Amino acid sequence: MIPKSLIDVHEIPAEITGLVKESVINTFASIIGSEPDYVEQSEQASSLNGIIGNIAVFNQHHTLSLMIVIPRETALKLSEIFIGVEIPFESDDMGDLVGEISNILAGDVAANVETVGFRGQSSLPTATRGSDLTLFLPNKPPTEKMKFTGFSGDFWVNMALSESR
Amino acid sequence: MGKVKALVVDDSKIMRSAVKRALDQLMLADFEYVEAMDGQDALNKFNDEIQIMFVDWNMPNMTGVEFSRTVRDQGGNDHIPIIMVTAEKSMGKVDKALNEGGANEYITKPFTADKMHKTISRYFDDEGNIVGEECEEEEEKSFFQSILKS
Repeated sequence: MIPKSLIDVHEIPAEITGLVKESVINTFASIIGSEPDYVEQSEQASSLNGIIGNIAVFNQHHTLSLMIVIPRETALKLSEIFIGVEIPFESDDMGDLVGEISNILAGDVAANVETVGFRGQSSLPTATRGSDLTLFLPNKPPTEKMKFTGFSGDFWVNMALSESR
Repeated sequence: MGKVKALVVDDSKIMRSAVKRALDQLMLADFEYVEAMDGQDALNKFNDEIQIMFVDWNMPNMTGVEFSRTVRDQGGNDHIPIIMVTAEKSMGKVDKALNEGGANEYITKPFTADKMHKTISRYFDDEGNIVGEECEEEEEKSFFQSILKS
């Protein structure tokens, strides 16, 4: 369903974004026990004090990059829910946790997008923590930003679809 | 309660702790843990004292499926249950882990203690021993006994 060349593709197909949205809701519901709400037409915060999980679902033709953007307060609440105790935001364990959440999300995304013909595997996750972070998404590949709000707080999932090289 | 040595393999320390916590909650056995952070590390730590293994899939150096396949190819360990504990969910992946990798069970993350129990309880008897080991020991005993008698 996705053409091999993305030269003329300006938006990520709605089927893919819909499935990623579903995966985000399912993943965070299974972690925090309640479904987060998707927030329509929201703007991303101009600067972030938080932690970002990066992961991709890819095959030989295309890469769907996912960026899970978690503000500090949301990350602290997530750690309490996931592990049973709040872990220090500045700790290596926090990076490990966000990496693992990214991993779980990518697994769900990979299973979901396979149903529409995007058969891929997950990359290994990475995590970046900082304050006053500004997020840049590339201009050329089609991208999408999604905001969610839930029991644990607000978070965003940004995605970019590109040709694999 | 029987003592069981478990190998827990995951590049995430948090997930290794989650697996151990779930197992301790279940009280199926008195677990002693050996931890490894990827398939290669697990291969270095695997020995004949290990009685059950909990293995992640996506790891650097060597994946969980590669580790599982390598261990099975060594031979003599088909009685050791390998439980894949992974975020990979598609049916093709489940099939790959169980058939190519030689894993016995598959549990997806995030998991609850209840899900873990449903997946692994059949591998334990009421005394907290791994099922199958006793049967093997009994078979060995009767085999040697039959040699001694002859």
